[in-house]
Amino acid sequence: MAESDNESGGHTGNASGSNELSGCREQDRFLPIANVSRIMKKALPANAKISKEAKETVQECVSEFISFITGEASDKCQKEKRKTINGDDLLWAMTTLGFEDYVDPLKIYLHKYREMEGEKTAMMGRPHERDEGYGHGHGHATPMMTMMMGHQPQHQHQHQHQGHVYGSGSASSARTR
Amino acid sequence: MFTKQMISSEIPMLMSKACEIFIQELTFRAWMHAEKNNKSIVQPCDVAKVIMQTDTMNFLTEIIPNNLGDFSVFDAKEENIANIAEENEVSLSFTAGFMGNPMMKMDSEENAGNIVEGNQATLPYTSGFMGNPMNMMNMDNVRMK
Repeated sequence: MAESDNESGGHTGNASGSNELSGCREQDRFLPIANVSRIMKKALPANAKISKEAKETVQECVSEFISFITGEASDKCQKEKRKTINGDDLLWAMTTLGFEDYVDPLKIYLHKYREMEGEKTAMMGRPHERDEGYGHGHGHATPMMTMMMGHQPQHQHQHQHQGHVYGSGSASSARTR
Repeated sequence: MFTKQMISSEIPMLMSKACEIFIQELTFRAWMHAEKNNKSIVQPCDVAKVIMQTDTMNFLTEIIPNNLGDFSVFDAKEENIANIAEENEVSLSFTAGFMGNPMMKMDSEENAGNIVEGNQATLPYTSGFMGNPMNMMNMDNVRMK
């Protein structure tokens, strides 16, 4: 039953995405293989080897994971007649779907992210320094930044790809606010 | 019917981090499986075994059998032989002999069953001995496609 709900939610999301992009391209269905590969290697000793096919398998799995979690969060928001999915909905969905171990690390991460956002806001009056500080001054870039910076040498559609995975229209709107 | 939904600015950041954790958990478990079988390279079947053995990963079962079917076509040499040998032991337990294997490969549900039972195959010498004939059958399977 839960799976049925999730599939429904995921499908609806994809339909919306298709409408915005007038058809999904193959390269838009998955996260970039290079980024997935780099994250996989971080989990293993330096001498471990991963076949190209295994990387592709995990690439498919993580896209399914995104649909699974966001579909559940989306369903919850619809039932409660709210239009915006927030962080708590996402954390609730992970707990409901058996990924409760992820929630505590993500809460810690969210807390640190908000602290950094505060610092970023404080530098709003100095755009140039803000860019430099954001890139160098805080130890390491956030995963989102890493992914975005990783896209820069590639084609523009890669950026759209990331937007698409998370709902490009809504994401842009949210970021603007 | 479908109300357009929006996401808060925290969602991309939270989802990115969650994906990282997920990828690393799945990869580490797959590597543990490969190590247990004395393999030096993580293969799709290692990922598939993790998905079958881990309750929280069961939502992925629908996309794995198809992928494993594709895997049998790849030229994975030594790893391929070892994997086919494992499946061979499973088919023997059904007393199906060699003839049963191609049919099982064509049926995704049986393939999933093989994956689950394949976990019980632990006889390295038998696996090595049985590898060659199954490799030939695999080639027949490739030609049919």
